Amino acid sequence: MNLFTLAFRNLRRRKVRTLLTIAGVAIAVSVLFSLLAFNAGYEQELTKEVDNLGIHLLAVPKGCPYEAASMIIHGGVIPKYLNESDLSSIRNIPGVAIATPILMHQFLLNGTPHIVYGIESSDMLKLRPYWHAEGRFFSDTEKNVMVIGRGLAEKENLKVGQILNFGPKKEPFEIVGILDRTGGQEDEFHLVSLSETQRVFGKEHKVNAVAVFLDDITQISDHSDEIEKIPEVQVVTMTQVTGTIMNLVGSARILLFSLIAVAVVISACGISNTLLMSVYERTRELGMFKAIGASSTDIGIMILTETIVITTLGGIAGVGGALVGAGLIEQFIRGAIPYAPAGSLIAFDPEVALICIGFSVILGVICGLYPAYRSSRLSPIEAIRSEAV
Amino acid sequence: MNLLEVQNLTKIYRRGSEEIHALKGVSLTARAGEFISIVGPSGSGKTALMNLIGSLDTPDGGTILIDGKEISGLPERERVSLRRHTIGFVFQQFFLIPTMTARENIMLPLIFSRQKIDEAWIEQILAMVGLTERAGHKPHELSGGEMQRVAIGRALVNRPEIILADEPTGNLDSATAEQIYVIFEELTRQGITLIVVTHNPDLARRSHRIVTICDGIIHDESSTGTDDS
Ligand SMILES: Nc1ncnc2c1ncn2[C@@H]1O[C@H](COP(=O)(O)OP(=O)(O)O)[C@@H](O)[C@H]1O
Ligand SMILES: [Mg+2]
Repeated sequence: MNLFTLAFRNLRRRKVRTLLTIAGVAIAVSVLFSLLAFNAGYEQELTKEVDNLGIHLLAVPKGCPYEAASMIIHGGVIPKYLNESDLSSIRNIPGVAIATPILMHQFLLNGTPHIVYGIESSDMLKLRPYWHAEGRFFSDTEKNVMVIGRGLAEKENLKVGQILNFGPKKEPFEIVGILDRTGGQEDEFHLVSLSETQRVFGKEHKVNAVAVFLDDITQISDHSDEIEKIPEVQVVTMTQVTGTIMNLVGSARILLFSLIAVAVVISACGISNTLLMSVYERTRELGMFKAIGASSTDIGIMILTETIVITTLGGIAGVGGALVGAGLIEQFIRGAIPYAPAGSLIAFDPEVALICIGFSVILGVICGLYPAYRSSRLSPIEAIRSEAV
Repeated sequence: MNLLEVQNLTKIYRRGSEEIHALKGVSLTARAGEFISIVGPSGSGKTALMNLIGSLDTPDGGTILIDGKEISGLPERERVSLRRHTIGFVFQQFFLIPTMTARENIMLPLIFSRQKIDEAWIEQILAMVGLTERAGHKPHELSGGEMQRVAIGRALVNRPEIILADEPTGNLDSATAEQIYVIFEELTRQGITLIVVTHNPDLARRSHRIVTICDGIIHDESSTGTDDS
């Protein structure tokens, strides 16, 4: 037996209260841990997703370049277009290895939005060599055929060979292939050749963006300048896209961090209050401890130990809980931020877990200092005389 | 030489502007192995005297010598050491830890005095207070007399020279109080000095000497004739 066993014993005396206090800490820590884990996971997934695009830069219409870029990654429609003549100008710039057009269109079917991704499959497949399909891809000139994403196929129970009535005129389109899952947004897309997309949706000679792959990535700024000499064209590099999205997420993150700060302050007040209550309840017992040889320091250490035990257990439970509940938390975060990559957003990093638990220990020290000070200053005779039970 | 020498002790409690003269010059001596009863009406200063001797409190005047050493002016660290090694307290309310067994309650002061647990000594104490059979029981499973015997065991564990008991039988019936006094008598035979506050004249007569305090002053001091040393 020592001061620490004494502290443990005491916590076990008021099991419910101890557990509730631990739960309070656990909730605060689990939110903190989730957010830190999310932060790491998010950046990782976003970078991976942008890398998967297989392009170095996007040429988009002048206006809101980042919105345009993120919509092209994310899916969605921008009501601004480049001309096909811009595409040829870009292709003529030396150092541009591949320049391939993208036209997006969105339509509603039975109330759910569907996205059409108009592409030239010959070039697009060079940029995305990891695209594989059950069935086949379409050629650039083939009419009335499409490839659909695996997610879409499963959701709508579509099979290769099936005919869809597509576009405003309900033209019959044959599904010639189903794209294997990529984990990206295209899992939900209709992939149609650029010319067919333009024809069916009445957007002749229009494209939303041109995806560019360079011979030499180190020359990216020279090439960007070159491309921007084309009137109406603006360049967004993929690092800019990632940076912008991270900034957008940053502001959402500040909100979440403020929520955590509030949660931490509330649980800190709860801990201090619990400890003060338990010190008050034990006034006479602590007085007796002094009479039988406890020093002020002994009493202080004992009370501080109690708090640290509470917060450390809370910290461990919080990290554990966050790992178990990662799915739920991820859903919540997805709802709260402007852009979420498709992969898992929560990256478990043991270092972050240790930081969170370390934080809990520090929280315990801070919350325990005042109750410990108060109890160590107790006068033994006053304590023993006191009315407190 | 006297183990304990109290000279002209005064204690004033202040409550706002009001001054309460709890002790107005009390002198008292005790030899090693002596058993002294303190009697007196409620509010006469008995507890104040016990707290001063036990160095839980500091006097406003006078001296307290234990083993010839002045203790009232000692720094806190040495007062703690005194409570750990020289003095054992027994209270009217037993102040046992409800989640600990009798044995663990007895060992409690060892936590503070950082002493190794000497199992043989613990067994000896349990036997001395008649709790060998009840050592594994928690306080709520024990009778009042048994709880007070645990508290006496706890006061003994650090081998004190003096045991201060403030109305130890105040919450006990007379048969149970009787058992407590049997233990006290045994302790004095082992050379421990006992100072016990009581309201019961029959019990007081079993000690060596009765000191009567009234209103902060010693009124009467009489030997009971039981001291055969
Ligand atoms: N901490 C204190 N503050 C103020 N007055 C006190 C305090 N302790 C004791 N007293 C007063 O001192 C007097 C003696 O008290 P006490 O020694 O407890 O008496 P007894 O133990 O003989 O009943 C009483 O009048 C009591 O009210
Ligand atoms: Mg009293």
